Amino acid sequence: MSDIVLKEVSKSFGAVSVLDKVSMHISSGEFIVFLGPSGCGKSTLLRMIAGLEQVSGGEIHLGGQRVDQLPPNERGVAMVFQNYALYPHMTVRDNMSFGLQNVGTPKEEIKRRVEDAARMLEISQLLDRKPAQLSGGQRQRVAIGRAIVRDPKAFLLDEPLSNLDAGLRVRTRLELAQLHHRIKATMIFVTHDQTEAMTLATRIVVMNNKRVEQIGTPMEVYTRPATRFVAGFVGSPAMNFLPIASVSDSNGKASVGLPGQTIETAVPMAGLPKDKLTFGIRPEAVRIAAEGQGLKGEADVVERLGERTLVYTRLADGSTIIAEDKGISAVQPGDTVYLAIDGNAAMVFDEAGKAYHAAA
Amino acid sequence: MSALDTAPAASVATADQGHKRRSFDIGGAILTLVTVIFAVLWAFPIYWGVITSLKPESQVISRTVEFLPRTWTIDAYWHVLVNTMIGRWYINSLVTSVSVTVLTLIISATTAYALSQLRFPGRTVIWYLILASFMVPIAALIVNHFILMAQFGLINNWLGVILPQLIHPVVIIVYKNFFDSVPKEYREAAKMDSASEWRIFSRIYVPMNWGVTTALAIVTFIGAWNNFLWPFLAVSRTEMMNVAVGITQVNDAFGVQYARELAAAILAALVVAILYLIFQRRVTQAIMLSAGVKG
Repeated sequence: MSDIVLKEVSKSFGAVSVLDKVSMHISSGEFIVFLGPSGCGKSTLLRMIAGLEQVSGGEIHLGGQRVDQLPPNERGVAMVFQNYALYPHMTVRDNMSFGLQNVGTPKEEIKRRVEDAARMLEISQLLDRKPAQLSGGQRQRVAIGRAIVRDPKAFLLDEPLSNLDAGLRVRTRLELAQLHHRIKATMIFVTHDQTEAMTLATRIVVMNNKRVEQIGTPMEVYTRPATRFVAGFVGSPAMNFLPIASVSDSNGKASVGLPGQTIETAVPMAGLPKDKLTFGIRPEAVRIAAEGQGLKGEADVVERLGERTLVYTRLADGSTIIAEDKGISAVQPGDTVYLAIDGNAAMVFDEAGKAYHAAA
Repeated sequence: MSALDTAPAASVATADQGHKRRSFDIGGAILTLVTVIFAVLWAFPIYWGVITSLKPESQVISRTVEFLPRTWTIDAYWHVLVNTMIGRWYINSLVTSVSVTVLTLIISATTAYALSQLRFPGRTVIWYLILASFMVPIAALIVNHFILMAQFGLINNWLGVILPQLIHPVVIIVYKNFFDSVPKEYREAAKMDSASEWRIFSRIYVPMNWGVTTALAIVTFIGAWNNFLWPFLAVSRTEMMNVAVGITQVNDAFGVQYARELAAAILAALVVAILYLIFQRRVTQAIMLSAGVKG
């Protein structure tokens, strides 16, 4: 078992606090993604698990053992760095062997482990090359190989795809998912790219401003965000937010007054504050409707993405809402459009940003 | 049609470049002339030394200026090689210079690594002391060195020649700057890989800075080989002298023999000259590094 448990972990650099009482339980074999904007503390948290940063408060347990006071090499974790940190003067084989040599692993064992990992990652033909002779994708595989040979309890990956071009990033993402499926190791992956988070994670830890906003499966985070920050950060294009002018009870559910229309939602009235509320709806739940049906607005920008069209619509009060239309859309910028909002997909946020959803 | 439109523009550009090539660069020509004059002025003593060493002693002092020997001879070289201890001096120079080079690099690199990568009390104070010691000329310490070596009984001893030459703050400073610029991820990756500090230093930091190490090694070696003042004070026995000091002994009962003196000087400089020719680029790089220009 290599569960990772964080108990109220905090980190400060002098007077500056960068993480505030972060707690979570990561089960063995999970692929956890720390997702958040730059500066939210996700890389610092990963580095604290690795032992590259000291904790200022709290505890870190790995496989049942408290490790926050142990040096990195005694924690049984391996790390893949953003720039891979492959030693430029060593061959791929030497890069992968270095860690095993340091702990006195017999030569035959090192050879076997390196060749096994190279075969698994399909880099056997690169073993005698130096990092400068490799492409970005190959370097990334070598960095993962260097981690695999050590047979760690957990893999820590710090934005390992961010140096790859778009095409290679997609391919490597898929390979990483396949690798996790194959070796079933605990992996913690740091990224600010929500697509990477959504496609790779068994659970996503959304972080913002020194703390955890939400921990959940990708679909939980997407469909039932805990806070307005999560709702806005996860999803592309971002969720639409509109101010709620009034809210009333409609058979126990919230009926919200928007500029120009009242929407029946599935959000229960029980526990819902009465004022300073915000209405949230994903663009795919806002469709272009027939003339005269729904919220009236003017198409400002039309983005044609092929399989769908995004229509940035300006409403009467000046606010903008993004709607989706079919791939081959007749809407042109400047057209008057009518938007049909699926109230069942809507959510409501209070002044503090807490989300209220339809009953699960 | 568009290709036809762009073609004349390309021709004009080529014609312009051709015109520029043909125009005479007066400033450049003057600069070239001045540098050639300085190069000749600089090289002339070397040329004069070489041709004098190839003259018979009787023709060295002459009423007329002779740019080439009337009689070519290697008698002066033969005399120096056969009748002096130049072979022994070469060995002394080689042993002391190689030792100074190797020990200086080891001491400086390890010190620089500690100052650059490790965190320990007094680190900043030590760093400032090293920076301050850079300002103290070696000549100012030479009496202290002599007394210290004499007290240790190291006068007329290789160790006595070597030890005071191991103080090279500039080598530490250059190394530290290079170690500082190694991305911290390499060190962190090595730590994750269970590497000890010594392994990180010897297997990661030194190989990653091999270029600066070779450059510093060459300059340190040349400096140690050419060093005169300290070996001159530390050694009085002829058989313990290095080649730079030994050439002062090339005289006989008839006084100074210029051809022999110059032959000995040329033989002494030969090793450094050959080293320089082979490692010219590295030497230039090292001099730039010592001056604070990162190559």
